Amino acid sequence: MNAAASALALERVGLDRRRLRRIGLGAIPFFLLLSLWQLNTYMGWLKPIYIPPLGSVVSAIFTLQEGCPGLWAVLTMNESCLFTSHVLSSMGRVGLGLAVGVPLGIGLGLLAGMSRRLGNAMEPLGVFANAISGIAWVPLAIVWFGVGWMTTLFILLNTVFWLVFFNTLLGVRGVPRTFENSVLTLGGGRRHVIFQVYLPGALPSIVTGVRMSMGFGWRALIAAEMIGGNKGLGFMIFVSAGEYKVEEVFLGVLFIGIIWMITDRTILVPLEKWTIERWGLVWRPS
Amino acid sequence: MATASAPAASSRQGPRTLRFPRLHRFLHKGGLELACVLLGGLALWALVSHVIPRPDRYLPSPGTVVYSSFDMLWKGLLPEFIWNTIWRLLIGSGLGILVGIPFGILLGLNRMVSDMFYPILNFFQSIAGIALLPVVMIWWGSSEQTVIFVILYTCLFPIAFNVLVGVRSIPRIYVNALRTLGASRLRIVRDVILPGALPSIATGLRLGIGFAWRAVIAGEMLAGQQGLGWMIFTAQQVDLTAQVILGMAMIGLLWIVLDRYLLRPLEVDTIQRWGLVQR
Repeated sequence: MNAAASALALERVGLDRRRLRRIGLGAIPFFLLLSLWQLNTYMGWLKPIYIPPLGSVVSAIFTLQEGCPGLWAVLTMNESCLFTSHVLSSMGRVGLGLAVGVPLGIGLGLLAGMSRRLGNAMEPLGVFANAISGIAWVPLAIVWFGVGWMTTLFILLNTVFWLVFFNTLLGVRGVPRTFENSVLTLGGGRRHVIFQVYLPGALPSIVTGVRMSMGFGWRALIAAEMIGGNKGLGFMIFVSAGEYKVEEVFLGVLFIGIIWMITDRTILVPLEKWTIERWGLVWRPS
Repeated sequence: MATASAPAASSRQGPRTLRFPRLHRFLHKGGLELACVLLGGLALWALVSHVIPRPDRYLPSPGTVVYSSFDMLWKGLLPEFIWNTIWRLLIGSGLGILVGIPFGILLGLNRMVSDMFYPILNFFQSIAGIALLPVVMIWWGSSEQTVIFVILYTCLFPIAFNVLVGVRSIPRIYVNALRTLGASRLRIVRDVILPGALPSIATGLRLGIGFAWRAVIAGEMLAGQQGLGWMIFTAQQVDLTAQVILGMAMIGLLWIVLDRYLLRPLEVDTIQRWGLVQR
């Protein structure tokens, strides 16, 4: 009775036995890796300059946050809250890049895809732009915008926009003509065709584009911050490495992974699942 | 024939046989529009670079870029840089493929092991390889080894992760069917696991090499190894913007060639040949 009730309570928060087992199993390699790391510190196999002690990585957060007055200072990215302001600066740029790049990419992609001939013409251009996008723009962006947040934002926007644009274009072009014609025959206007045919038909492709743009964009942002930035996690890693503060570098690297995993779990995977469930198109042969 | 897919166009054309099928296809598949877009873009570029002050620093005209390519070709620098970059990509991603595919398959064989390693592989995949570059630079300095390690890391984990996902997605029935027929473990791997995972392997390869290509460029910039990334980075520092644009165009063209003629056909062919997606 008691066991059944507690099982029910667990299920209510979404933790059934299978999921618990999966989480438990998945934790084992992490745990092993962490203990190996700790063991390395005790045994002194690799010097701290190669692998810093686990404790010093954790305490690097406090060193970086030293003199941080409080939550308000964290949110306003006060100079003394170094670590959180680097993290927030990177994440804020990702947010801004997505908020501008995704709607722009979807809109222009739809426009280009609506005309077959223009779509055909824009496809090679999109391929080329995607091939250069990302890190290769950094030197030119530095010339144009100087070292700073504009350069990194430009790199991110460039990556996000072209991937979303290209995938939207492909998605719209992949929608069978019949659907469009049937809506037109039934007396639908251009607006109906866009919102009832093109957009839903292209949605799986658009979601793929958004997912890819996040993956490539995040990597490009980190690299751009290292080369042409003056704030953000990538910049922090690069500067700390220059001062041989390995523990801060490790901290930054770990956070890059953690932030990406959280984004993936909370935004991208649900988005993809929702599209698949709602529109039922998993994969489409090109 | 191009006309078969466009009945409206062929009926307007009259006779079935075309005198210039290639030209016809070019005109009807958007070639004309592409040419217009390209010419318009070039004209705009030339105009902007004509209007702004100090064009050689901010945006050199297309002609200057082409001229700088002659210069680089004549000195023999450009082919060498291209070769360096490609060689690095080949070594790094080749190692990544050699290690990643068997690793993913081994981990995917057992349900429990694959449940165990799925999150950690996902975590390592999430750490952008380029973020490790500063650490590796501390270990080994600015050397060839550093760049290749970063490339290896960047493409190893997406490949291993996708292979693992592919092996997991194979329906148990197939494995069980072979097992009831008395097949050995090796046989199951060869006849079920490997072909079943091939589409994901191809997807993983394409993604991994895509990440690796960007890592090569960034790695060359930061670790100062001669190559295309190094070329555009150093050219920017000495204000040779024409060379920067030339390098960018080369990076784009090389990737298109790689993607179009190597990776995409590989992926499409494996999916068509082995695809279990239409289950």
